Amino acid sequence: MEKLMAALKAQIVEQLNLQEVKPEDIGDDQPLFKDGLGLDSIDALEIIVLLQQHYGIRIANPEQGPEIFHSVRTIAEFITAHQTAK
Amino acid sequence: MYIYIQGTGCVSPQETAAGNTFPAAVLPWEGPRLKAWEPDYKQWIDVKLIRRMSRVIKMGVAAAKLSLQEAGVEVPDAIITGTAYGCLDDTGVFLSKMINQQEEMLTPTAFIQSTHNTVAGQIALMLGCHAYNNTFVHKAFSFESALLDSIMILREGRSSSILAGAMDELTNHSFNILSRFDLYKKEPVTYEQLLKSSTHGTVAGEGAACFALGTEKGPNTKAKLTGLTTLYKPVGKAEISPDITSFLAAHNCSQEEVSLVITGRNGDASGDEWYEYVENTLFAGKPVAGFKHLCGEYPTAASFGMWLGNRILAEQQVPADVLLKGKVPEQIKKVLIYNHHKQTHHSLILLTAC
Repeated sequence: MEKLMAALKAQIVEQLNLQEVKPEDIGDDQPLFKDGLGLDSIDALEIIVLLQQHYGIRIANPEQGPEIFHSVRTIAEFITAHQTAK
Repeated sequence: MYIYIQGTGCVSPQETAAGNTFPAAVLPWEGPRLKAWEPDYKQWIDVKLIRRMSRVIKMGVAAAKLSLQEAGVEVPDAIITGTAYGCLDDTGVFLSKMINQQEEMLTPTAFIQSTHNTVAGQIALMLGCHAYNNTFVHKAFSFESALLDSIMILREGRSSSILAGAMDELTNHSFNILSRFDLYKKEPVTYEQLLKSSTHGTVAGEGAACFALGTEKGPNTKAKLTGLTTLYKPVGKAEISPDITSFLAAHNCSQEEVSLVITGRNGDASGDEWYEYVENTLFAGKPVAGFKHLCGEYPTAASFGMWLGNRILAEQQVPADVLLKGKVPEQIKKVLIYNHHKQTHHSLILLTAC
């Protein structure tokens, strides 16, 4: 899980071009949107593509989005659950 | 009704964005490509927004902010831009991804930022300006079209303050493609040599220049935008002279009253013949200045010429690095900017001191 979260942080920083943020600056449970890291709806789309590209995961139910994308940990848990279910 | 230039902003291969005055020294360059000198954009743009912006968007936003700051205008009544190439970098990113990823899993950012009206839209979003927003994409008449639209709207009384400007960027990809059209010089050339060159080709450039225009004088207004016209594919040089004469006459200005002619001379021998013809037949003995050794050639380069013209009128002096010939009068009252792009798109802009 730790390894996956570290990889996710690096991918998020790169994909979203977060120039002032280093991967290690992102907390495991830090909210990614709004008051947390400050990401917005365009970033959510970028993360959806990231999950598809790097982990082969498609978000079937868009309503799950806020729950899955809450933090790096929730995304990592979603990926792990998805990979286990495979 | 007069149209006043209330403020200007310019990002160019010179340090024009630092202080918004004519730079003390020319930044030297060598080779066929001039790149914009970029200021620290964080002074105008939120870091969270910068990460999504390509260079041309940042240049355009910075030029817009500078011009509005100088004008003391927070939100204009309209935003009108011109660009020939648009947001090329993001277009390249988006198209490359389409090919590489076989039209699958395309990310939204590059697509959103790749449209030609991104800069005007981004400025509006940052200012919270919900007014008229238009972008003209008419090759080398893009800037002039944006100006013309601004002039018409101001004259109709629909707005009293408009942000008008133009921006174009050069990417590695576009420079390589344009080079294949044999547009640029093959031999090494410096800024001191370019405008004296007698060989084929010029140097590539880029930049953004914005103008806060209004029907009232602002606190920093130094010039009026008196006239503008465009001429498409004139048959020959002889056709230009009467056009210039009638343009000046239409704005109650004689050739004698023009204090300075700024031409778009770019070092390309066949293109520069047009300027020489006009200088010799209509403005013999008049001082002539040039500007493309400072910004390079690009379809909206006339916007840099207009920025320079306004600065000259504001400071009442012609920097030695831009004066090509003649003696500048003590008082600079009227400046005529004559520019053409590849001998097809000719434009005239007349500025008057105030």
